[in-house]
Amino acid sequence: MLRVLFASLAFLCLALTAPARAQDEGSIQPILQEQSELIQESSRRTIQPAIDAIAASGLSQAQTVLETWQAKDMWLRLTDGQYFRAERINRETYRLFDLDTGEDLGEFPADDLDQIKPNSGIRGLIAVALVQFQLSDPDPENRRAALQSLERDPNEDALAPLRNSIEGETDPDLLAKKQRLERLLTMAYDRDPEARIAAIEEMSEDTGVDVRATLNPILSTRLRVFNGAPPDSLNIARTLTPGSDALPRAEAYEMLVSAGDAPSRLGPDAIKDTLAQNITDGEVAGIQVHNLNTQETRRTAYDRLVADGIAPPVPTEAEVDATLAQYIFAEVYDEPNAAVTTAAQAALDSIATRVAVGQAVDLTLDALSLASIYFLAAIGLAITFGVMGVINMAHGEFIMMGAYTGYVVQQFVPGPTASILVAIPLAFAVTFGAGVAMERLVIRFLYNRPLETLLATFGISIALQQLAKNIFGTQARPLTSPDWLDGAWVLNDVVSISYIRIAIFALALIFLALFLYIMNRTRLGLETRAVTQNRRMAASMGINPDRVNMLTFGLGSGIAGIAGVAIGLWAKVTSELGQDYIVQSFMTVVVGGVGNIWGTLLGATMIGFLQKGIEWFNPSNTLAAQTYMIIFIIIFIQFRPRGIIALRGRAAGD
Amino acid sequence: MQRRPLVARHPSILIFLALLALFTLGVTLLSEAYGTGYLSTSFVKTLGKTLCLCLVAVAMDLVWGYAGILSLGHFAFFGLGGYMIGMWLMYERTRDIVAGSMAEAAIPPTEQEIVDAIGTQIFGVVGASEFPAIWAFADSLLLQLVLVVAVPGLLALVFGWLAFRSRVTGVYLSILTQAMTLALALYLFQNDSGLRGNNGLSGLQNIPGLTDVPQSHVSMWFLWASAAALALGYVLSAWIVSGKFGSVLRGIRDNEARVRFLGYPVEQYKLMIFTVTAMIAGIAGALYYPQAGIINPAEIAPIASIYLAVWVAIGGRGRLYGAVIGAAFVSLVSSWFTGGQAPDVNLGFYTISWVDWWLILLGLSFVAVTIFAPRGIGGLVDLIADARRPDRHGADLGPDQGALREKEADR
Repeated sequence: MLRVLFASLAFLCLALTAPARAQDEGSIQPILQEQSELIQESSRRTIQPAIDAIAASGLSQAQTVLETWQAKDMWLRLTDGQYFRAERINRETYRLFDLDTGEDLGEFPADDLDQIKPNSGIRGLIAVALVQFQLSDPDPENRRAALQSLERDPNEDALAPLRNSIEGETDPDLLAKKQRLERLLTMAYDRDPEARIAAIEEMSEDTGVDVRATLNPILSTRLRVFNGAPPDSLNIARTLTPGSDALPRAEAYEMLVSAGDAPSRLGPDAIKDTLAQNITDGEVAGIQVHNLNTQETRRTAYDRLVADGIAPPVPTEAEVDATLAQYIFAEVYDEPNAAVTTAAQAALDSIATRVAVGQAVDLTLDALSLASIYFLAAIGLAITFGVMGVINMAHGEFIMMGAYTGYVVQQFVPGPTASILVAIPLAFAVTFGAGVAMERLVIRFLYNRPLETLLATFGISIALQQLAKNIFGTQARPLTSPDWLDGAWVLNDVVSISYIRIAIFALALIFLALFLYIMNRTRLGLETRAVTQNRRMAASMGINPDRVNMLTFGLGSGIAGIAGVAIGLWAKVTSELGQDYIVQSFMTVVVGGVGNIWGTLLGATMIGFLQKGIEWFNPSNTLAAQTYMIIFIIIFIQFRPRGIIALRGRAAGD
Repeated sequence: MQRRPLVARHPSILIFLALLALFTLGVTLLSEAYGTGYLSTSFVKTLGKTLCLCLVAVAMDLVWGYAGILSLGHFAFFGLGGYMIGMWLMYERTRDIVAGSMAEAAIPPTEQEIVDAIGTQIFGVVGASEFPAIWAFADSLLLQLVLVVAVPGLLALVFGWLAFRSRVTGVYLSILTQAMTLALALYLFQNDSGLRGNNGLSGLQNIPGLTDVPQSHVSMWFLWASAAALALGYVLSAWIVSGKFGSVLRGIRDNEARVRFLGYPVEQYKLMIFTVTAMIAGIAGALYYPQAGIINPAEIAPIASIYLAVWVAIGGRGRLYGAVIGAAFVSLVSSWFTGGQAPDVNLGFYTISWVDWWLILLGLSFVAVTIFAPRGIGGLVDLIADARRPDRHGADLGPDQGALREKEADR
């Protein structure tokens, strides 16, 4: 109580002398005294004028004062109501410094002092006010922070300091940012419409999200009703006809009702309620309650209630139309200047075109990366199924084994880069071994019996999946990618692609080259082709078909293992990882044309682009995209049963 | 030449029907509803469901064992049948509930209000309240029963026509059917598919109009219905494969090109058998899901259709009773193992818990059956019959790749 008394007394004294002193000596103290009440009240809702007064004082020490205040270092001396910066010496004693000069004023007992404790809301407001000072701060980091804060919540007051700070800016990066922000703030807040329009036109080729975020509020509208023509002073966006898509008839009428310009139109529910309130002896207006189970009888009963004067009359459809015809409905821009809104609309349209182009590019990149994932998953199959003709339903499980190998390696080898480098050959070795074992133990008994191979390998697939579940559990295991694969290659706000997708794309190309090299340039490839074409003849030439089949199958499985590591980096590793890819992989090979790697490449490209294309039409629903893609493939096979690139002649087999 | 009657040509039909009748009678006498109560209601339901699975396995055997089309889509037809009957069950049951609660209101509800309330009740979980167009007939049991047969049949007809017309055969056809199944499952998984997305249809065990009848009785009625359907399906299948039609089917299986060159319209035969078996599968599904109580898209996933092939292969394909034995044996043993009833095996250093290891055992035994015993369990019957046959050392019957060996054929 005493404190308040002192403060207001001091305030009174000082208020009388303050104006003269402030101008003369450039002291901040009088301003603080003027706002003392607000400062001590310390409430987020009322503090703004105090902050503004300090910030607008034009004094060089204003920034220091605000910072001191924000850091809770500003203290009130109760004896005279003056403000100081205080440093704690011990619990009882504080050292005070003058806010204007920074002069050491000596030690004071804590009992005479009171700390000003701004809450987090007030500190936020101070921070906003500080931005304009920090924009010219000597430390580039402070300038950067101030710019970021301003980008987050732009305000009108910052425009002038921002413009002033541009001239002295030395850092080219910050300079560019400041200029961009200055354009954005000009668009939104400049007093001069010409300047705004110029800025809007200048930025109309920029696809940045911040430009669109600045333009959209300029174009915000409100729906309003006018009895007669709307006044010319308003900036009308468009007039709406009730009953159109933008303004349904019921909604338009409801607007009039809530404005009190029209009687309410009762819905079926309201009629029902009124009827229920007027039940007497099991009847409503002479109609038995149990007969009120159609809208017609309900209407009749209600009309009788109206005739009796019990219920309010309901306007007929014709009356509703007549009422609506009297009024004009229009969307009115909040921004009064028509030239500005026109320019903003034109700028948004031009940006929208550019964004659409960017999105098309982005979609193409996405589709390409999906295609390379499908290609990667299918390339092993292109060997085992395409070249050897063995249908291996456990192929997906080999992919899964590769991914889990990567996971296990990461548990033992530190550092993601090293572990990936170890995991890739190890995954190849593990799945190569598994493939060879499977070929020796199962598949070689079933050559020439494709349906049995399908079923037997399916049995292996079930067993492997369950085995993975038993060992690693059902939860997804992460495969950490190296740092240099994190992040994305960002072209602009619309077009970007993550490095991991680029890596997968590159890996797919490497595998394609590897496949072509092995099949066309190595002895194994030659022997594989020989055995596939004519096993007996190849055997007569001194090739051991068993060995060749074993190695080829192992090779195809090994490649699946490496693909597994790559896919594991991109998606989570679960025991169902392979299952997700098996149908698509077979589709890729079948659509492309069995026995031709270029066909597989085309097939993967087609499926990838198709899926992304369908997703683009209906972005929220990837399930639907997959459904339609499969249906499309089924139909596609009608027209090219042997795939895009069909083998001809003897090589086609049957 | 005078043809002998069907049962005389195929004595196995009589044996099968007799065993099925005996089984049904036995279950009835041991049931809670009509007998001693030795078998619990839930086990009666399991047996009833198993009979439905046997029926769909018979259909699968017709299309795969006799016509050589390894369809990986017949469980999708099974599921579609279930969805069709499920729509009626769910609609009528919700109608009962809704009408009951709305009768309390002061003003009686209109027809439209009741339908709206049913829609809100059924589709609330997927954030909708309107009835999609596919529910147009959900209020009529008769029309939904027609759809049980018509929808799978029509899908099979269209798909089969497209596939067979472009001469997609062998493993390509298998992959294509699997893709169809996957597409259907993915479609049903969507919330806006109109069939409640991955929630599926539930509460199907409550039969509208039979709310006063205890589940023990309802389960017995369904068991009888399933047994009757299995008997009819078995006889129908036996009749189909016994005559000239069956001979052509087996010809297509063993050498399709040769049958075509002989002048038979191979595509029409295949389309016919594909569609008929899809309808049988639909009926089996319509009997299965009211006993299971719930149907959701996971039931249709491609894996289910592959299990169907597993059952038939283990039971012995190319013989109808083999399919029945396989489906009954594998599904019952499967539920025994995964239900946690099988005792764990303690190896000292590791305890084999069958819940975890059963699928591995199934997968490996499936590989073993494919390689070492292509005739399956049903092949045991041949041990007796083979003693009276000349031994041709198991040579292939035809020159074509994948032609059946002698010991698999002639069934």
